[in-house]
Amino acid sequence: MADELTAILVIILVIMAIGLAFSIGANDETLASLVGAGVLKFKIALIVGGIAIGSGMILFSGGFVPETIGKSILGEGLEAKYTNYMLLAVLISSILWLVIGSFAGIPLSSTHSLIGSIVGVVIVYTIFQGGMDLSTAFNYEKLRDVVLSWFISPITGLLITYILFKISAKFLLSRLKGLNQIEKSEKTFKWLLFIAVIFAEIWVGANSGEALGILLGLRENSSITNGQYITFAIFCGIFSFVGIYFAARYVIRNLASHMINTRPSEGFIIQMSSAIILMIATLLALPISHSHVIVFCIIGMSIAQKKEIDLKGLGKMGLYWVLTFPIAALLAGSIYLGLSSFGFL
Amino acid sequence: MKEIEDKELKKLSIDNLTHLFMDNINEQNLKLIEGIEFLVQEDFDKFKKNLNYVIETNTEVQIKKKFESKIFKSKLMFSKADRLKLFNKINGIKNIGEFIANKMLLYKAVFPDEQFKHHILSILESLKNISNDLSKAVKLIGSDLSKAHDICEEIKDERRKMRNEEWQLLNRLYNYDMDYISRTFIYLKELIEDIMMLADHIKNFSEYIQFLATKYLIFD
Repeated sequence: MADELTAILVIILVIMAIGLAFSIGANDETLASLVGAGVLKFKIALIVGGIAIGSGMILFSGGFVPETIGKSILGEGLEAKYTNYMLLAVLISSILWLVIGSFAGIPLSSTHSLIGSIVGVVIVYTIFQGGMDLSTAFNYEKLRDVVLSWFISPITGLLITYILFKISAKFLLSRLKGLNQIEKSEKTFKWLLFIAVIFAEIWVGANSGEALGILLGLRENSSITNGQYITFAIFCGIFSFVGIYFAARYVIRNLASHMINTRPSEGFIIQMSSAIILMIATLLALPISHSHVIVFCIIGMSIAQKKEIDLKGLGKMGLYWVLTFPIAALLAGSIYLGLSSFGFL
Repeated sequence: MKEIEDKELKKLSIDNLTHLFMDNINEQNLKLIEGIEFLVQEDFDKFKKNLNYVIETNTEVQIKKKFESKIFKSKLMFSKADRLKLFNKINGIKNIGEFIANKMLLYKAVFPDEQFKHHILSILESLKNISNDLSKAVKLIGSDLSKAHDICEEIKDERRKMRNEEWQLLNRLYNYDMDYISRTFIYLKELIEDIMMLADHIKNFSEYIQFLATKYLIFD
């Protein structure tokens, strides 16, 4: 009976993780600039973007961000392993908080939500498991790096965008005098934007380790084999593609219609900056929020162009940014507390 | 302006079609202004000839059609909508010109005195200048938006001067010993107002060019 229950739980966790991969694709906004600039036909853009995000997810599933989430964020006290109920609480909490955010129209980071949930669950586990010490529950060095990266990555994105724009303005964009010259130059940027978006999509896939982190956690506690992990990682890649192709199209089309007047040169600089940040974070195995990076890249562009910044909107985003981590931790902790009170540890 | 063959039009780029259209409309505009000058000089035959030229000329229609079909299929990305709007604004000059020409032909007024004539001629001279300047500015959009922006600033300054003259002229008109429901009074009043309507369109157009310069130019 216990074995059957464990098997059912593992299946549920795998399905939920693959569902999470689908939602990562479904929430993709990166392609909007490509569609808005009219570089590719809509369906082709969806296919190319879907392949990029899916392959990024699969290629970097062997370690990097999934390993941080599924293993190395935990300390010696837990032997770097989650129990399946911990993973269930983490998944339920992060999905719940994202759903609440969506209904309330609040932009939330799935990465922050997931890490917050992990912290909440591990704290409750440590407190209610006899003989455990909170000082060994986490790999504090890794946790510090992850949290630090959430502050450093958007600010670096802002700076890179600002610098890239200033350089391109000084040496190219300000030298373009007439509309014909500008149009010609933007045609070149159109293709550079295409490369930047594909590059960014690969790193978005690689850095979106939420789904694979859960699967890696299952592999580490021996609920699934390494072969199964690789198979499920491929499924995650495929489902993120499916998410982009079938679900993200509405968001992308809507955003793209607002971007018709956006210059490809600006889009290129923003996408390239965010891709660079995502690449560095992924190679350092740090899960960061792509949405926050891209918002700060846009702010960097606005500062460089001396445009007005929506400080009210930015303040609102900052507030939810700060709140996501503790709320997700509280939510996940409460869910896990509920599960453990029924003996599901 | 002579008819242009369809083959020749086909060879022209969107930019060149815009320039050709602008030249065509500017030429008609200058004919209209000249026609009103003939009216001031009481040379009614030439006045009628010029204004009929404005009404009957339709060489711009084929340019417009060619432009519209080209821009619809064009691969221009982000300036497509602005180029179309620009073209429609040039077309707006023709519409106003045609409206004025038709209205002016309804009656032939004799101007009250030399002072009035002098003022009208001065306004017409300014209108000619801003019309020519606008044509230059439109042609510079493709190659030098900064220069186009500066020319538009001059148009706006000239328009400001014209407005002062317009009020002086209306003031003068209202103080003549004239029956206010007479055809001459109404005709002259509307002539002044219509010239100003055309000048206003040119001013708004130049502001649009300045908007384009602000939108597209990047400064380091």
